[in-house]
Formats: sequence, C-alpha cells, structure tokens
Amino acid sequence: MSVTYLDAINAALTEEMRRDPGVFLIGEDIGVFGGAFGATKGLLDEFGADRVIDSPLAEGIIVSASIGAAMAGLRPVPEIQFSDFITPAMDAITQQAAKLRYRSGGSQTCPITLRVCYGGGTGGGLYHSQTNTTWFAHEPGLMVVAPATVSDAKGMLKASIRQDDPVIYFEHKKLYRWPAIKEDLPEGDDLLADLFHCAIRRPGKDATIVTYGFMLQLALQAADQLAEENGASIEVIDLRVLNPLDHDTILESVSRTGRLCIVQEDHRTLGIGSEISATVAEQAFDCLDAPIVRVSAPDIPAIPAAEPLEQFYMPNVAKIVDALHRVLQY
Amino acid sequence: MATKVKEPVAAAASTNHGSANSDNALIGNDKLKQLYSTMLKCRLLEERARILKKQARFKGNYYAAVGQEATAVGSTVDLRPEDTIAPSHRDFIANFIKGVPLTAMFSQLYGRSTSPDKGRSAPAHCGYAPLNIITPSSTIAAQLNIGTGVALANQMKKNDNVVVAFSGEGSTSLGFWHEALNFAGVRNLPIVYICQNNLWAESVSVKLQTKVEDISLKAIGYGFPGITVDGNDVVAVYRVAQEAIERARSGGGPTLIEAKTYRWYGHSEIDPAKYRTAEEVEEWKAKDPIAAMERYLSVKKLFTSDWKQQITDEFAKELDAAVEVAEKAPQPEPIECLDYLYSFDIRERELNRKIYSPQF
Repeated sequence: MSVTYLDAINAALTEEMRRDPGVFLIGEDIGVFGGAFGATKGLLDEFGADRVIDSPLAEGIIVSASIGAAMAGLRPVPEIQFSDFITPAMDAITQQAAKLRYRSGGSQTCPITLRVCYGGGTGGGLYHSQTNTTWFAHEPGLMVVAPATVSDAKGMLKASIRQDDPVIYFEHKKLYRWPAIKEDLPEGDDLLADLFHCAIRRPGKDATIVTYGFMLQLALQAADQLAEENGASIEVIDLRVLNPLDHDTILESVSRTGRLCIVQEDHRTLGIGSEISATVAEQAFDCLDAPIVRVSAPDIPAIPAAEPLEQFYMPNVAKIVDALHRVLQY
Repeated sequence: MATKVKEPVAAAASTNHGSANSDNALIGNDKLKQLYSTMLKCRLLEERARILKKQARFKGNYYAAVGQEATAVGSTVDLRPEDTIAPSHRDFIANFIKGVPLTAMFSQLYGRSTSPDKGRSAPAHCGYAPLNIITPSSTIAAQLNIGTGVALANQMKKNDNVVVAFSGEGSTSLGFWHEALNFAGVRNLPIVYICQNNLWAESVSVKLQTKVEDISLKAIGYGFPGITVDGNDVVAVYRVAQEAIERARSGGGPTLIEAKTYRWYGHSEIDPAKYRTAEEVEEWKAKDPIAAMERYLSVKKLFTSDWKQQITDEFAKELDAAVEVAEKAPQPEPIECLDYLYSFDIRERELNRKIYSPQF
C-alpha cells in the first residue's frame, strides 16, 4: 500500500519507539490531539503519556528538557508545531544543543531529533508558513535535514533518532499529504537513510538544479517541461541535508553540466543558495559556463496571507523555467 | 501549596551563635565539621584562583563565589555521584564539593588539553561528566532548563537521582527560568532549584529585577514549595536543602530555595564593583559564613584554630600540586580546534576541500 509523507513520519516514530524504550516524544498537542497535522496520531494510545508528552505551551523547555534528557541517556524527539514558533527555543538549539558536545570536549552530548514543521503555499500567513532552515544550517554542531520524499521522510527520521548528534528534522507541511509523492515503503529497520549526502533525483547533462523540500516537486516539473520544450537535459539534486552540506555531489554535478540554478523557498539573502553559490565559485570556478542563478523568495520578512501576495512570494515552476532559460541561453 | 518560611524554623542558625543548639540531633558533629572544612577549602581554592588570575597565569576571567560558600556547600555536600548539578558561571566550587579532582579543575582554569572540556569553555565554566556536572554556558538560566530535562529523564527511568540547579537572582527575570520551573511543577520532577540571591546581577540591583522581597514567593506560581533561607548560614542551607532533596528523591517533586547571600568581590575579576557602597560590602563581610560557622563550632567545642591551620596548610599543598600539574600540562594542539563538534570527524572536510578548477 502506498503511503503519504505523514504516514511515513508516523511509522518511523512508531517503529523507533517500539525498538528503543529511551525514545520519547514531547511537544504541543502531540498526545491527545495526535499532532496539529496528525503526525503523532495513535502514539499516545500505544506508548502512554510518559513517552508521548503533551508539553506546556513553551518551546524553550520542549527543546531544553529534551537536551537534558538526552544528556541523561534518553533519545528525545521533540516537536516544534510550526517553524515560525521556534524562536523561543533558539537559545536551547543554538547555544546548548549545538555547542554542548564541543564545549564539554566531547564528554557531554545531546542526541535529540527536533521535528520542525515548515513551509508555505498553504495560505497560512506570516506565522504558519516560514522556511527558516538557514538559521540552523548556519550553526556548526547541528545536523539539519529536510526530506523531500516519502522514503526519506521515514528513513531519515529513523536514522536521525539513532544519530549521536542533535538533528533538526525539517518536514514540509505541503508534502504531508501530497498525492504525487506517495510510495510503497517497507516496514521495520530496512529503511535507514543516509544523513550525509545529496541525492540526484533526475540525472541530466545541460544544467544542475539544487533544491530541497517541497521545491523538489517544482524543480522536477520544471525539468520535465524543459525536456519537452527543447530537449534540455536538467539534473535535479535534492540536498536532503542542509548541514553539514554535501559539497562534493553538487560540485561534481556542476563540473559536468557547467550551469547551476539553486531553488529555495527561503528568502534570498544569506540563504542556503548563497552558501552553495560561494562554494561553487570558490571550488569549481573554471567549470562554470554561465552565471549561477538563484530562484528564491524575495527579501521580505515572511509569507503574506493573501493569495496574490503569497503567489508572488513563492517560487513556482514558471519562475524556475525562466531561470533555466537564462542559464541555458547565456 | 507553596509555603514560605522566612527563617528556617528548625535550623540552628549559625549567625545566632549565642543561642546555638548544642544537642542538634539531626546533624552530627562530623557533618558540621565537614560543612565548615569544605567551605574553608572552597574559599582557599577561589582565593588561589583569583591570585593566579591576577598574576595572568591563565587567560579569560573568573567569577568568584567568595562570601557565598554556604549556599553551594550546604546544598551539594551530600549529593551522590549519580545526582546532577546544573551550575552557573559562579559555581566553580560546586565541582570541588562534588569530588572533581583539583587537577582537573585547575587544568580547566588553564585551558589545558587535560581539562574536562579539552580547553574549550571559559575558565570558570567547569563541568565534569563522570560526576554529572553539566558544563555551563554563559546564557543565563540555560542550565536550569537542561537540568530540568535531566530530572525528566531520571523520573522516566524511575531512579531516585536528583538534580540541583543553581541560578542567581538576575536569572529569575528570564523566560527560561519560568519555563523550567513551570515544567518541573507540571511534571512533579525530582529537582531542587537554588537561587543564590546575592543582590547584584553584575551591576544591577535586585530591586531592578523583581518587585517581590523574597524570590521563593515565585514558587507559589508553580505549585511547589518555596523557601527563603539565610544563605550565609551553612547549617540552615544544609537542613533546607536536605529536606528538598529528600522530597525530590521520594517523588515529592521540586522545591525552590532562595538563599540570600552576597558576593564579596565584583561580578568577575575585572569588575571593581563600584556600584555597591563600601558599607554594604562591610556589612556582608561581617556576616561571613565561614567565620559564623567557626563561632558556631566553637560554642559546640568542635573548633580550634590549630585545626583550621591544619586544614589550611594541607589544602595549600593540594592546591600547589594541582597548580603545578595544570601548569605543566600540555596546551591543546591548534588542530584540535576542529574536534568534538559532531560524533564524526570534520578535519578532512575542513582542511581538504576538493577543488574542481584545475587552474586554482
């Protein structure tokens, strides 16, 4: 039976909680309610209120209590209901989780997996739509992952829970029930995904698109459209991991295609595309046959609610196709 | 329901030395002497650290708790190795009380490769994993939240280990502080919060931090007991802390203890503390917890100046030896800057970036 991205997350949590009694969940509305989007549905019934903790409305303690519990040997999986609400936990994430291993010379660690629901395009407005992945990708000490497929949603979550590092697991709300990406998945421990490398989702030879999250769907559509239009062969790379970045897969691709288009839902300045652009310019300058192009949201604070404003804000297939035209015609 | 007890009823307050209770059944003479000798050693340790700092023998800064020793000693002297301490920047001595070797502590001050954190944190930010002392950060009150998480884990594991989490009165203004105590109350966690109210958060008076007279009152808002104790009375602190620790161990939940005390010196070794009056400092130095305990022990005929001198001389030798070990210990190799970031190594990634431009 093919399952959704949301089903995959639920299955990963269920399997890991059955496997390891140290795994527990904590977050807002995750227990009785089963999560704002249903990601933790049924888990309270199976595992009880001690392992599926409906927390107070306080993101700081959700994360920092998880850090302490992880120090003490457990495997917490805290949840931030919307990435827009993550700011009260910024000290816990950036100053404590990211730095604990380093500041203790490796003697104290906090392997938490912080699930964060993010992303726009659902009419959620300024505070239910943000893509603030870059804040965390900028923090050495954190692993930041953003699965774009159903298989990765499950395999990367399971692997993150077993990883001996703090992992921020960004799950895109628009992918939760996106029909086109449903997959048949194996149950059990067969599905542990790699947490260190990009994936080439569509091989090509004329240009490279680098993207992640829901934007992968748009990038693949844009690549298909160009192939139909003029036979252009576009390689599409799914970043999967935002920190530490897998530079080599990107550089190797650009060394073959000579052209790079980066698509990000986040706004432009100092986004993940900025880092990738700089890396390619530094390490593969001679390989470039055209300027690097970024397709991103504009530099405004967050996604406005009104549909025309949101549509202006969000990258879409037409914008990506237009960028590819410019790259290919240079 | 929260209770507020301004003076610990049962405590034989050492500051009331004239009326010291000589048939104190609950605290044995050996324990009383241990409380004193531990405070004295903490004082000697910190005065040594301050001298070394002034001599520029180590870099960075130091945050002495001189004058506040009774709060740390009274609350942690009887902790088990499995119990956790969540220290602030001014709780360096908590490491010593819990049993961290002096060589490790001085290696920490000197930032040597032999320090518990391999030369990473600030000198006073000493943690020690083998004895469950969380390595502090500088973001105030963060240790309370992490300590609260350790308490959550202890509760989930159904053991009877407790957490003692320290903070100053300034930290109570932060949201973190509230989130930690609120969560501990909701989950009935095995943790004791000790607020060392020393009246000054760096240069800011407690009057600018809170309108309440006694910080222990805040516990009412979290549904667990709060108590204010004379933080310069080690016996009083010990009694109150033992009761709170026992309550936490036996599933009775958290306690907030406000220990009213005073730091003799500035916020750090570069702070002359001119924001305070000389009269205020002298008033508090007259309430020195160590001198008070000497008077208390003298009444009980448990103190002699020879004994004090013996402790002082023997501990000075231990300090000398620890300083020598630290000074002779190797510095970290520069390349070690890249270590202990993740569970995996990043040296190769940082040092050998693959270049795809043949001309470069």
